[in-house]
Amino acid sequence: MKIKMDLAKILENLKQDERFRANIEHWKVIPPREAATVPFPDDLDPRIRGALAGRGIPSLYTHQETSFRHAREGKHIVAVTPTASGKSMCYHLPVLQTLTENPEARALYLFPTKALAQDQKSELHELIDEMGLSIKSDTYDGDTPAQIRQTIRKAGNIVITNPDMLHSAILPHHTKWVSFFEHLKYIVIDELHTYRGVFGSHVANVIRRLKRICAFYGSSPQFICTSATIANPRELAEQLTEENVVLVDNNGAPAGKKHFIFYNPPVVNKQLNIRRSSTLEARDITELFLTNGIQTILFARSRVRVEILLKYLQELIKRKLGEKTIQGYRGGYLPSQRRAIEKGLRQGDIIGVVSTNALELGVDIGQLQVCVITGYPGSVASTWQQAGRAGRRQGESVVVLVGSSTPLDQYVIQHPEYFFERSPESARINPDNLIILVDHIKCAAYELPFSKGDRFGRAEIMEILEFLTEEQILHHAKGKWFWMNDSFPAHNISLRSASQENVVIIDISERGNERVIGEMDRFSSMTLLHDEAIYLHQGTQYQVEKLDYEEKKAYVREVQVDYYTDANLAVQLRVLEEDQTRRAAETEFAYGEVTVNAMATIFKKIKFETHENIGSGPIHLPEEELHTNAAWLSFSEQVLDVVGKSEVERGLVGLAHVLQHVAPLFVMCDRMDLHVIPQRKAIHSGAPTIFLYDRYPGGIGLSEQVYKEMDTILARAEELILSCPCESGCPSCVGAAEDGGKELALTLLRVAQGGSLHVS
Amino acid sequence: MSLKSKLNRFKEHLTKEAPQQQGSRVKDTGRAGGTLEPASSGPFEPASSAGQEPTPFSAPQPARGTAQPDSAPVNSQANMEEIPFMDKWMELGAKPYFWEDEHVMVREVRYPISQRHGHYAFAGLYETIAAWERAGFEHPLSASGRSVEDLLFFDTETTGLHGGTGNTVFLLGHSRMDGESVIVRQHFLAAPYSEAALYRSFLEDSQTATHLVTYNGKSFDWPQVKTRHTLLRDLVPRLPAFGHYDLLHGARRLWREDLESCRLSLIEREKLGVVREDDVPGYLAPIRYFDYLTDKNPDTVAGVLRHNEIDVLSLITLYIHLSALLLSHEQQVDISEEERFKVGRWYEALGDTERAMQAYRLVADSVHPLRDKARIAMGSCYKRQKDWRRALLVWEGLGNSGVTLPEDVLIEMAKLYEHQVKDLEKALLFAEAGYDRWKQKAALLRRRSKAEEAAYRKRIERLEQKLRTQAGPDLDYGGGLV
Repeated sequence: MKIKMDLAKILENLKQDERFRANIEHWKVIPPREAATVPFPDDLDPRIRGALAGRGIPSLYTHQETSFRHAREGKHIVAVTPTASGKSMCYHLPVLQTLTENPEARALYLFPTKALAQDQKSELHELIDEMGLSIKSDTYDGDTPAQIRQTIRKAGNIVITNPDMLHSAILPHHTKWVSFFEHLKYIVIDELHTYRGVFGSHVANVIRRLKRICAFYGSSPQFICTSATIANPRELAEQLTEENVVLVDNNGAPAGKKHFIFYNPPVVNKQLNIRRSSTLEARDITELFLTNGIQTILFARSRVRVEILLKYLQELIKRKLGEKTIQGYRGGYLPSQRRAIEKGLRQGDIIGVVSTNALELGVDIGQLQVCVITGYPGSVASTWQQAGRAGRRQGESVVVLVGSSTPLDQYVIQHPEYFFERSPESARINPDNLIILVDHIKCAAYELPFSKGDRFGRAEIMEILEFLTEEQILHHAKGKWFWMNDSFPAHNISLRSASQENVVIIDISERGNERVIGEMDRFSSMTLLHDEAIYLHQGTQYQVEKLDYEEKKAYVREVQVDYYTDANLAVQLRVLEEDQTRRAAETEFAYGEVTVNAMATIFKKIKFETHENIGSGPIHLPEEELHTNAAWLSFSEQVLDVVGKSEVERGLVGLAHVLQHVAPLFVMCDRMDLHVIPQRKAIHSGAPTIFLYDRYPGGIGLSEQVYKEMDTILARAEELILSCPCESGCPSCVGAAEDGGKELALTLLRVAQGGSLHVS
Repeated sequence: MSLKSKLNRFKEHLTKEAPQQQGSRVKDTGRAGGTLEPASSGPFEPASSAGQEPTPFSAPQPARGTAQPDSAPVNSQANMEEIPFMDKWMELGAKPYFWEDEHVMVREVRYPISQRHGHYAFAGLYETIAAWERAGFEHPLSASGRSVEDLLFFDTETTGLHGGTGNTVFLLGHSRMDGESVIVRQHFLAAPYSEAALYRSFLEDSQTATHLVTYNGKSFDWPQVKTRHTLLRDLVPRLPAFGHYDLLHGARRLWREDLESCRLSLIEREKLGVVREDDVPGYLAPIRYFDYLTDKNPDTVAGVLRHNEIDVLSLITLYIHLSALLLSHEQQVDISEEERFKVGRWYEALGDTERAMQAYRLVADSVHPLRDKARIAMGSCYKRQKDWRRALLVWEGLGNSGVTLPEDVLIEMAKLYEHQVKDLEKALLFAEAGYDRWKQKAALLRRRSKAEEAAYRKRIERLEQKLRTQAGPDLDYGGGLV
């Protein structure tokens, strides 16, 4: 039996190992950082000092003290610090201090998930106990028993909840919370950076509603936000809260030494520049750490990947450590399952976890030593978040980023300076997305009537109120707009997913014991839960027997097969309206409104180990239609004559492939949120065109950002193609290699950037 | 693109709440009026259920509008003239109540207390209260100590079905005894900005009442009134702390298994002998009200007012009837064995084993199929009274005569034998019988709870263990009970 190695020994071995060493593109050692501390502020209550001293904390980190001071001066703040820097003290201290002075005061803590709320509740309770104060705090969410809800509403000093609960259960019932809203002093928004895109745009409107209710009850609470590192924390906080916010970024927390390894899987086919699968490489690396008993987290990019990796690893480790010591973690698992996994990780019963970005958030899983990331997570901010899972205040830790063959991964992995020097991305929201805005105006009208001249946050709404009156949803009388409808608007509005209702996944393997094992949004279900799809859940394979699209139910049965399924989505796009255009030489850039029709067409069965295609079948699901915003670039029809029709077509496909990977970088969104499609003959103009559209009805500002930054995006795309070592195109740049694909895409790029048609 | 055209383009996404079929909203007031009874005919037809003499509607014209809400100052003729369709309101028996520059409509209808509504005349309420006085025991529905005027039979109509801030109460209706009359009064929200006037009108009117009698009012109507009142709390006096009899709970206890639902209209028809004609069902009330806000024509909501009127009158009948069933030892009442059994259950749940026994005994002595269940229940009552011997006697007797005892009774028997009678062998016998019974049932229902199964096994194992260690001829059979 092999003797287990410790982390230092493993790193030593890796440096020696020839095969491994050959694949290291970059090995950066981030030195440990000393703590920067300041004494307790003079006005800090002795009971709070006592509690901190009792924990062996004699002073505050600089960012904690700054937050405290600003909050005490009545300012709204956003504190930006990395994982494990004592971030929560930035809000606990001012809130608890206020409560020592005014026992009537109330605070609302918002966390993006129930899990985080649970964590904070335990932490807060310990702190309050140690202080010896009678401060009542509790979580208020879907799991809160009905009997204690009333007590929390009437007497909870600190109410811990999530935006969804605020939206659908607290605000629409604000009359049950009178004294809470009357005495509300602080609103804490933790994990601010997660409030971006569709979710962030919704939450900004929920906060508009919250502030409106507070004003009704005569309070004007202060906002304290905390965020992981992003480029625009202050801007995001100001957009979300519509207040002037002070930035606190003088992090004083110490950190241990960290090794950051950029690992590129070996090339297995030189001509095509095809590399070994990053999934397999990441699996091998993770296995090395796990078999030595070192707690490791493995991040994968999709739910399917999580399940595939989990299955691999559980097989490998089963005999050595027992299957249950490695667990999966992703959206779609039931909450109780997740809580058990989190606990197992903290207690060390679980040594390995395979996760999607669901564990990027501050869910407390204790300190892991190693983090392996399969494929670049898509943004600098997200990468640092995932990397932060390994190693906290002291001790050595390792992060291995395993590149995949996608263009962006290859670019990042070969240009480590790009990653380490680049500032993280900005988080974008668009609270005035018409659909989101109108949804929340309805909820707001349900909560309190609107009056003539009212605004909703900063939004002008008179025209919308009139529209809703015409549609017989509001009633206008005596300068006021009243909710006049028999529905409960918040029930129809989900803050999280683009489509309104989720598909419930039902396991029917055992007769008489059918059970719900998860859920999925409707759009994703088209490609992941169609009839005959293989759905993976906790490493178990299920085959979908039937997707009842009308009833939103997918019936699955446990199976054991050696393949997974991958579905194709056919997309059509029409331009409805051009809002903005500009020309650069022969190319037109535009931004406007479009309709997208998407239909799942066929699926392929792909064998696990070899990734070969072993069969396919049709998918029969209705078409989904989407009205949204898009940015596009159109080439003159002249290009067709000079370059040739089929050549242009190939060039467009290649360029679209690159843009699909590069553009999301500049708007900080998931690859799924921004789609790219090429058209040789766009319906509205007949010209060769590439569209980049928001995958949410009405758009959330992503394509608008793309339109603004088109020049940079194109330059980056060109750089990426040029730096790819393949001959004429590969999955890492323009996609599947076809004759001259790479050169054609480059030609189009040059034209788009004002170059001459004849350069190539 | 202009906001307006954008709004129209996204209409489908933006107006999920809009009425699905425009046709369902009555725009044509002529048609709406046509569906209603002319205001001059009686508001509802008299009872004519089987086994009862159809009572002719002896006083078909309720004394309409003879009284005004006491403090409604109809001070300004000018104001009156500004109210659209005032003539139609008058015909309905409604007058305005003004507060500042707002007004609501208060409709009043009077009935003589001799009037029958279903199986009872309103005057029966006097006898009901007297019967509660005589009965002299505590019960959630007991009106002992009350006078008839204390009770406000109360029901609301709202713009939605879900509880929540935006669900507006647009009609507060109640009936109440006043000397020789029953007065129905309905406070109607004439415009959504007049809510302060609505609650003022209602509060002035209801001040002297002490108790509400409602149907699901504890969890719906009253909380909803409180919610809307909270929004106006600076403009309107506090709500009184009424006592509250919610008749839904009682109706559920007695009839849940008997009726497909416990909707009031169904109970009226099946149990109270009240027949509604041309009723506007409750779920249409919001849409009628929304239409009224557009056309302001009282005809549009007249059906809703009638519906609510019958509701608050039926509450009187229902209260009389429920009380009569509960006090059947007191009063002459037509009660079925099922009802008697449920009455027993209700008393048992309240811990009143004596009255529960009275009810069960009557069922047990009948030839009704519920007879055995009633006997089993009597056993439980004996057990509750700590009369172990009788409890076992009843149960064992039933078992010996071939009645299938449910598993929980068998386990109760096992417990009594183990802990009270100290007969471990018998205890084991019944524990095993209980387990067998449970297994049969679990197999039939295809539901097997591991925890339940473990509890059975544990009991059996413990008894076997005890038997092994304690076995001996000197056991104290009977435990001093015999």
